[in-house]
Amino acid sequence: MAHIGEAQAPVGTRDALARGRLRASLVPDLLVEARRIVNTVMAGWHGRRKRGIGENFWQFRPYVEGEAIANIDWRRSARDDHTYVRDREWEAAHTVWLWADPSPSMLYKSTGATVSKQSRALVIVLAMAELLSRSGERIAWPGVTDPFSARNGAERIASHLAHATALPAKPDLSAIRRFSDIVIASDFLDPVGETMQWLDVLARHGVRAHLVEIADPAEESFPYSGRTEFTDPETGEKLTAGRAEMLGDEYRNLYSARRAELAAWCKQLGWSYTVNHTDRLASEALVRLHLALTAEGPSGRRTAA
Amino acid sequence: MSWLPLSFGAPMVLWGLLALPVIWWLLRLTPPKPQTEVFPPLRILARVLKREETPQQSPWWLTLLRLLMAALIVAALAEPVFNPREKLSTEGEALALVIDNDWASADDWERRVATASRLIADAERNSVPVLLAFTAEKPNQQIGPFSAAEARDRLNAVKPRPVPADRREIYARVGEALRDLPPATVAVLTDGLAADGDEAAFSAMMTKPPANFIWGTPQRLDTIGLTAADNGFDRLTISAVRASSNATGPASMSAGAFDDKGRRIGDAAIAFRPGQTIATGDFVVPFELRNDFASIALDGVASAGAVRVLDESAKRRRIGLLSETPVDEARLLLSPLYYIRRAMEPFADIVEPTSPAISEAIPQLLQQKPAVIVMADVGTVPEPARTALVEWMENGGTLLRFAGSHLLSAGDDSELLPVILRRSERSLGGALSWTEPQPVGEFPANGPFSSLPAPTDVTVTRQLLAEPTPDLIDHTWATLADGTPLVTGDRRGKGMVVLFHVPPEATWSNLPISGSFVEMLRRIVQLSRNQGAVAAAPQSQTASLAPYRMIDASGAIVPPGPDARPLMAGQAAVTVDNPPGLYGSEEGVVAHNLLAAEQALTPIVRPQLTIPVADLHYSLDEARDLKGPLVAAAILLMVLDTLAVFWIGGLFSRWRRRPRMAGTTAALLVMAAISFGHVDTARANDAKPGDAEAIDAINQTRIAYVITGEPGVDSISRAGLEGLRRFLIEKTALEPGEPAGVDISRDELSFYPLIYWPIDPAAPEPDTAAMARVEAYMQQGGTVLFDTRDQFSTGFGSDSASPATQRLRSLLSTLSVPPLEPVPSDHVLTKSFFILNEFPGRFNGSPLWIEASLDASNTDNRPVRTGDGVSPIMITANDMAGAWAIDANGEPLLPTVPSDPMQRVYAMRAGVNIVIYMLTGNYKSDQVHVPALLERLGQ
Repeated sequence: MAHIGEAQAPVGTRDALARGRLRASLVPDLLVEARRIVNTVMAGWHGRRKRGIGENFWQFRPYVEGEAIANIDWRRSARDDHTYVRDREWEAAHTVWLWADPSPSMLYKSTGATVSKQSRALVIVLAMAELLSRSGERIAWPGVTDPFSARNGAERIASHLAHATALPAKPDLSAIRRFSDIVIASDFLDPVGETMQWLDVLARHGVRAHLVEIADPAEESFPYSGRTEFTDPETGEKLTAGRAEMLGDEYRNLYSARRAELAAWCKQLGWSYTVNHTDRLASEALVRLHLALTAEGPSGRRTAA
Repeated sequence: MSWLPLSFGAPMVLWGLLALPVIWWLLRLTPPKPQTEVFPPLRILARVLKREETPQQSPWWLTLLRLLMAALIVAALAEPVFNPREKLSTEGEALALVIDNDWASADDWERRVATASRLIADAERNSVPVLLAFTAEKPNQQIGPFSAAEARDRLNAVKPRPVPADRREIYARVGEALRDLPPATVAVLTDGLAADGDEAAFSAMMTKPPANFIWGTPQRLDTIGLTAADNGFDRLTISAVRASSNATGPASMSAGAFDDKGRRIGDAAIAFRPGQTIATGDFVVPFELRNDFASIALDGVASAGAVRVLDESAKRRRIGLLSETPVDEARLLLSPLYYIRRAMEPFADIVEPTSPAISEAIPQLLQQKPAVIVMADVGTVPEPARTALVEWMENGGTLLRFAGSHLLSAGDDSELLPVILRRSERSLGGALSWTEPQPVGEFPANGPFSSLPAPTDVTVTRQLLAEPTPDLIDHTWATLADGTPLVTGDRRGKGMVVLFHVPPEATWSNLPISGSFVEMLRRIVQLSRNQGAVAAAPQSQTASLAPYRMIDASGAIVPPGPDARPLMAGQAAVTVDNPPGLYGSEEGVVAHNLLAAEQALTPIVRPQLTIPVADLHYSLDEARDLKGPLVAAAILLMVLDTLAVFWIGGLFSRWRRRPRMAGTTAALLVMAAISFGHVDTARANDAKPGDAEAIDAINQTRIAYVITGEPGVDSISRAGLEGLRRFLIEKTALEPGEPAGVDISRDELSFYPLIYWPIDPAAPEPDTAAMARVEAYMQQGGTVLFDTRDQFSTGFGSDSASPATQRLRSLLSTLSVPPLEPVPSDHVLTKSFFILNEFPGRFNGSPLWIEASLDASNTDNRPVRTGDGVSPIMITANDMAGAWAIDANGEPLLPTVPSDPMQRVYAMRAGVNIVIYMLTGNYKSDQVHVPALLERLGQ
């Protein structure tokens, strides 16, 4: 009998990079919403679609008392009786941390899936890196690189990953500062409590996290039946089920309860939680991630007000 | 295992069943191997799995299944046999097999053959010679010793015979043969019926004591036979006998009577009372029907003993006529024998004495052994002749007497008269009487005339009267309306005497000149018997009778076989040479029946012997080797086990979850089913080559033209029909399809209503087969329009003919062409769409010839003559296709001659009329009735 799922060899980062670029080319240039980093003066290359510090013209507006006289655009003001100020479009950079789970459980790929979870996570993260560096954002990988800004950010991250000797299963996230974003692609199969404990430091630092759960369809639908021996790829632990199909309903309940709990926690923190199945396209997750990065979260609105 | 008819070829293997507990133990210990799967969310699953118990053992039913499988295999290896045949001790140095193949063995002959085959097979195994003798074969048959194979061939060649067993001769021969052999096993397969001299026969066979003795009898002696069939006045009574050993309970049977063609024309029921071996049954059917009885058979008994053939009805009776009055040629109608002779000649042989004297005439007649002697007004019979006559009557002769003046004058004779007569006659009507002449009353029910209707036109004026005695009514066969006996009859021994109380001439009554007289005489004659065998007749018959129809062993009436010999006169025994049946020829037959009237069927008694005796019952070989079925069952269980293992392994539910895989499986299964059911698929597809063309041809109405082979002619035909087609579409509701070119020798013609045939002398002439197709097409309702296109190239003069016309003539000479005429002015063709007077084409002037409607009438000056049908042939010389022909732009291709635009229009209209006429027939001529119909409807 053919096995339903198997552990795949880890995907090469070069390969993942190529695919990530392909994905990234499908998504419009990413504009990271960075209204909370008003004090960050690092200039980016792309406008933020609002007034601020930058070089390009944004709008004329009536002069308000108290503003610097130097801001007045005399040429425009000479046309009528009012005095106008020329606003420029705000151009600013943002730091986005990226991380893909390198654990052995991510190497799993069932027959219904097109790629392994690790491959999918790497593709999404590298695509993200490509998008962000194209927008001039600063990107970083916890435990591998510090934030940097470069046109070829994705390549650099890929080469760093390729040369990294041993990646920690769970990197230390305490170095990440406020007003940064972090994209975490993992299967989040550890107990919810452990995951929350690990990510709690981010919440305390005020980092906005974007969790991408990479799920294999076999994990979710549990298509096993008959006498089956299950092996955990991380611990090597074995479990034998006499009639696997009898366990299906209960397992699915637990599985979705875990996901719902995690998603609810994220929502409470103003984080985003995206689920991507390996039998679907990576672009779906990418688009949702894109939306989550550019959308104004509840906390963002509060800051703006 | 005595309660079960089961034996084992290798019973020691059954000890292998002891291994079953071990197998059970092993099976219990080994659970099926699980499927291994990598599963990352194992920790979530672990929370679920805590509550489920993992089965460590196979389910009990799977174990049971496997144990059963093992037990079946062990049992199959032990070579079980169901219904094993009995083992007979055959320790003799030879086998003497004596088989009764007589009539009583026919019913279950197959079982006897099977039993004997087993004995021969035993002999073959012991390689001893076989003596094989059959008791119903000829005594000089070869009895061996044979090898087993030879004996088997002979056994299969022998069939039961419809004759009794002749044990004495055969047993004696077997006894002689045994004397030269070492002590043998003697197997006697009897039919179960005792015969005379059985004991002597056995002792003759056992002169040298055999090694052992096998005694075969049928398990149940249900032999039954018909012993007699007696034709009475109003019924035919048959007697049946059954074996005495079988006579304990009641039994009822039915019997059928069959005519000489084998049709069943009568039924009788026979019921045996408990303890009785003889029963009778009656066929109560009308006399005429009984006369047609040729054989009687018991239903459901396929044996020669259950069939009797009857010969009486097939015989013509000889009838002696006797009268004291000399024949007077001048007063022929008053001769007393005249009416009798005329009445009896059709169905009987008339014998008349040469001597007029009664005393000499009677012995003369008796020599002829007649069935009936008619004495018309004979008074006293002189003594020596009288005794002979009475003796003849006692032996079955029928004496038919008529009253008359001589009889009145003679003294009373109780032996030669059925009733005592009064010494006076009775006169009814007449000058001195008050009474009226008496009509004849209803025939009494007990007499032979009971089924005849009473004659209404017969009156009796004078008659002899019978002395009223208490039993007179029993002897009265016919009465006058007042109850006076008119015909009386009585039995005399086996024969009878009948008296008509009137003379056989029309003086006392008009009975002799009525039709009833003939019928009454016929009844009496049919009741009579010929005296003595036909063979005993002096010159007319030969001394022996050829076999005519035989009864075979299964009771069927068959033509005589090669063994049947002519039946010698007086020979009564049924032997191999004289099997039962009818002997003689179509003129007359003698029945030679198997069972005598007093035959009893008693079971045969086993001889008392000192040597070991084994009893044997006949049975078919029903031993059945169970090894194959058991192995098959084990394999079936193995398949079940495999499926169960798959099921436990979850294969099926996995398929269910993944519909694509299920689809693949289903597709595989369907493909397998299709490959198995390939024949059905082939049958379902009844497409034939040419279907597409046929469908094309009939999807639309298409006008066809004959492809002559001349390219110019064919293209003009096509263009012409295309032009006509466009004109039709333009002007009429008909929208024909593309013109079709047909090859008359190959294409199906019946698709096209009209075929245009331009005659071209240069074209090759079609062969006769093609012309036959054209003729068939014309006869099935198609029409051919011949166009010679030579209106202006024909020479002048009545006998001048262009080459095209000559070609047309030669073509038509091979067809059956109806009489032709030019289209009459009132023909429906002139009015079917346009009103036309002529039918021009490119030329004008040639008439259009069609089938002459000679019987069509045009009464009442109707515009159209009435007539049915459509002309199958049209002939023109006007080159119609040339006038119709158009090019791709719709412009005419050829000029008309003379160049007149209207002529082309008329040619088109002619074409339309022809096509519409073809499609609607006489519809237009029926249109003339419309005004009358409307008038009748009151509108």
